[in-house]
Amino acid sequence: MDFLVSSFASALRLIGSFSPDVFDAVRTSLAVSAGATVFAALLGIPLGLLVGLSDFPLKRMVVTLLNTLMAVPTVVVGLLVYGFLSRQGPLGVLGLLFTPTAIVIGGVLLAAPIVANYALASVRGADPRIVPTALTLGAGRFLAVGTLIGEIRFGILAAVIAGFGRVISEVGVAMMLGGNIRGYTRTMTTAIALETSKGEFAFGMALGIVLMMAALIVNLFLNLLQQR
Amino acid sequence: MYRLQSIRKCYGSNVALDIEELTIAEGRLYTLTGANGAGKSTLLSILAFLSPPTSGEIFYAGERVDRNHGPVEEYRRKVTLLHQSPYLFGGSVDDNVAFGLKVRGIRGEERRRRIDEALDVVGLRGFRDRKARELSGGEAQRVAMARALALKPEVLLLDEPLANIDRETTGLFETVIASLPAQGTTVVMTTHDPDHPGRLNGESIFLEGGRHVLRSLR
Repeated sequence: MDFLVSSFASALRLIGSFSPDVFDAVRTSLAVSAGATVFAALLGIPLGLLVGLSDFPLKRMVVTLLNTLMAVPTVVVGLLVYGFLSRQGPLGVLGLLFTPTAIVIGGVLLAAPIVANYALASVRGADPRIVPTALTLGAGRFLAVGTLIGEIRFGILAAVIAGFGRVISEVGVAMMLGGNIRGYTRTMTTAIALETSKGEFAFGMALGIVLMMAALIVNLFLNLLQQR
Repeated sequence: MYRLQSIRKCYGSNVALDIEELTIAEGRLYTLTGANGAGKSTLLSILAFLSPPTSGEIFYAGERVDRNHGPVEEYRRKVTLLHQSPYLFGGSVDDNVAFGLKVRGIRGEERRRRIDEALDVVGLRGFRDRKARELSGGEAQRVAMARALALKPEVLLLDEPLANIDRETTGLFETVIASLPAQGTTVVMTTHDPDHPGRLNGESIFLEGGRHVLRSLR
């Protein structure tokens, strides 16, 4: 127990001293997670809305596929993207492997199915009277769908935040595609894994605390928006 | 206002509506009666241009409505349907009543005047800034009515507007509805109350099993 308490105290001191290593890992994590979330939202929200609002053959199969993609292990996504970005891979000439961009690409593949599924669930859970009400008040199809999105905006926001949570908390993609390069591609999660394996438990715990605080701040922000 | 010819609406093999011919004159009030499942709501949905018939032709103000050649929004903006259990958008009462006016490009003073007038008619003056989701059931019904009236539609379609509301609101709605034909608005409302055609000085259309079987003139 003493070990945990002293490590926790050291972790707080590290955070308070603005250690450059901690700062770099936090900055990289936030940057790649934000980038991946933006692109995942741009892909996932329209996809979820499209699947939710339209009827087409194989729709059930598409929904099942989206659900399955949510559960794909991060290392599998890492492996797949690694295959494309490695020097022998089809996109190897771009030289993206072990860069923050590679982590963003992997993050998009991880988060987009989550955003799409949450958006789809929001559409399915929406009041069925929204679109007919907008239409009968004179809205065109496009505006009626826009009105629906406005009415389910908190569900959409939750989708984006869930996507962000998936990316910022994962370690497999960041490790395999980023390479855990100090000050460049080292994220909070890869730093925690590395430092803990080196016996630097306090450092890992400091990053763990920051990670939890980032999650808390994001959720507080969501709650604030919902109360408005 | 409307002329329906050989209108059929089918859901799979089930024929929900089968009307050989029906004419609805401009500036009149019609009550649409019939048992549950008789096709009343289906007919309203077709008249509101929300749902196309499976077959048949609709003429509105003498023009044939052809969904394959041009959007139906143009017609939809002349007609408003008030559902039995209306949905109010999140936001204020003002946001709700303003919705259709914004869609029609009505701005500024004209929009404010129309909103105030409509809220006055339904007895909700001073409710503009209230949150729509915090209203009572009766108040919400009145806001939905105000939202429809503010548009001054050529046709107002009402799906059981007097069901599930208190006596005070019923009296208010009956007065408002009965006054609309004199202002040039055609009204078609579904009801289960056999006294409504008489009380509202309207004409009755009776549906049975999706078919238009009787029409009585008052």
